[in-house]
Amino acid sequence: MSESTRLTAWRLGLIFGALLIVETSVRAGWISTFFLAAPTRAVIVLWQQLLHGNALVLTGITLFEITACLLIATILGVLAGFFLWRYKLIGTSYETLLAALFSSPVILAYPIFLVTFGRTSAAVIALSSIFGLIPIIINTKGAFQNVNPILLQVGASMNLTRRQLFRHILIPAVAPAIFSGFRLALTYILKSVLGLEYVAQVGGVGMWLSDAAFKFEVEEVYAGLFGTIVLSILFLYLINRCEHWFRR
Amino acid sequence: MAAARPTSTPLMARIQTPLGVRALTLSVLIVGWELIGRTGLLFPDLFPSITEILQSLWIYVTTPVMIPHIKASLYEVGGAIAIAALLGIPLGILWGSKQSWLEIVEPLILYAAVVPKIVIFPVFILFLGIDVHSKLAVGAIAAFFPISLLTIAGMREVKKVYVDVARTIGVTPAKIATHVYLPAIAGQVFTGIRIGLGAAVTGALLAETKIAKAGLGFMIVEYYGQFRIADMYALLLFIFILAALANWAMKSLFGMLSPISRKSGDAGMYF
Repeated sequence: MSESTRLTAWRLGLIFGALLIVETSVRAGWISTFFLAAPTRAVIVLWQQLLHGNALVLTGITLFEITACLLIATILGVLAGFFLWRYKLIGTSYETLLAALFSSPVILAYPIFLVTFGRTSAAVIALSSIFGLIPIIINTKGAFQNVNPILLQVGASMNLTRRQLFRHILIPAVAPAIFSGFRLALTYILKSVLGLEYVAQVGGVGMWLSDAAFKFEVEEVYAGLFGTIVLSILFLYLINRCEHWFRR
Repeated sequence: MAAARPTSTPLMARIQTPLGVRALTLSVLIVGWELIGRTGLLFPDLFPSITEILQSLWIYVTTPVMIPHIKASLYEVGGAIAIAALLGIPLGILWGSKQSWLEIVEPLILYAAVVPKIVIFPVFILFLGIDVHSKLAVGAIAAFFPISLLTIAGMREVKKVYVDVARTIGVTPAKIATHVYLPAIAGQVFTGIRIGLGAAVTGALLAETKIAKAGLGFMIVEYYGQFRIADMYALLLFIFILAALANWAMKSLFGMLSPISRKSGDAGMYF
C-alpha cells in the first residue's frame, strides 16, 4: 500500500468512524432525534431533495452567485492590483486601507446591501464580491512587484516591445501568484455566499438550510448542512487540483 | 504663480506620502458622503449625513443604552475565544508533535476550515437554544481553526534539538509541552488568538443577526427592521471601532509578552 493510500484510508476511517458513532447514538436512542438526525437519514433526505425537491435548483443558484462573484472579483481585482502596482504611491497608501477593511467584520453590514439591492441574489453577489476582490488585488499587486527584474532585463536586451514584454514575460511571471489570490478569493466568496444566504434567507443552499431550521425539520437541517459541507469541500478540492495542474 | 509656489509645494509634498493619500481619500469620502446625505442626491434613505451618524454614535458612547448588548456580545466573544484557545492550542500541540498524525489530520482541518461556520448555527440552536450560548458556540468553532492551524504552524518551527535535549535530561511529556513547545510556539499561538478573535467576533455577531434576544448584532437587525439607517451605520461604526481596539490591545499585549509575535502580523490576511 502506497503512503498516500494509507493516509487516505486513515482519513476516511476517521470520518466514517465518527459518523458511525453518531449513527449508532441516534439509532440506539442515546441522543434524541429532536436534536440530531442519523447521518444515513440526512443523506437520504438530501438525495430525495435532489431528485424530487428543489435542492438542485437551489444549488444552481448558489453556483451562479459564486461564479458571478468570482468573475467580478477577478476582473476588477486584477485591474485594480495592476493599477496599484503601476502607481506606487497609491498602491502603498491603499494596501493598508484594503488590509484594514478586510480584517474588519464587514459582513455585518449586509443589511445595507439588502436595503440597496433588495432581498435578492444581487445583494449576496455585491457583498461577497468584496471578500473576493481584496485578496486578488493584494496578490496581483504583490505578483507584479515581485517579478524578477532579470527577466525584464533579458526581455529588454532582446529588444522586445512593451507589449511583447507584457505578454511574454510579465503575464507568465505573475500568473502563479495571481492564481493563489484567486484561490483565496474563491474560499472567501464561498464562505460569504453560503453564510449570507443562510443569514439573510435569500438565494440557494443557505436559504434552504435557513428554511428547514425555521420549520424545525431536523432531518432537513442536517441534509442541508451535509450538502453545504460537501459543496464547500468539493470546491476546495477542485481548486487544489486546478492549482496543482496550473503549477505543473 | 511664483508667489503661490512656496506655500503649495510643502503641502503637495505632504499629500504625496502614503499617509497623505490615505488622509486625503478619507477626507474626500467623508465630505462626499456628508454632501450626498445633506442634499439627498443619491438614495436619500440609504445615505444619512455623517453628522447624523456621529450623533447616534455619541449616544452609544455616552449613555448606557448599549450596555446590555455589549455585555451579551462580550460574553459570547470572550467565551468563544476562551473555549477555542483551550481546545485549539492543546490539539494543535498534539497534532503537530507527530509528523504521522499531522499528515492525517491537517488536510481534514484545512477542508473543515473552509466550511462557513455560520451554517452550523441551526445545529447549535437545536442543542443550546436561542440564548447567548448558541452564538458563543458559533464564535468558538470559528476561532478554533485559526488557533489550531497556527499552533500547528508554530509546532513545525520548533527545532527538534530542543525536544531531544529535554528528553535526554528526562523531562516528562507534559513538561516538554509547557516548557519547550509553548515558549517556542508562543508567537504563532498569539497570532492565532488574535486572528481567532476576529473570527469569533464575526461568527458570534453574525449569528446574533439571525436570531437573538440581545447583542450588538441583534441591534443591527433591529435598526434595519425599523429602518433606522443612521443608527445602524453608527452601530456598525461602533462595532468596527471596538473590534479594532480589541485587535490593537491584543497585538500590544502579545507584543510585550513575546517579541516573536511582532514579526507575524501579516498572517491575518489569509484567515
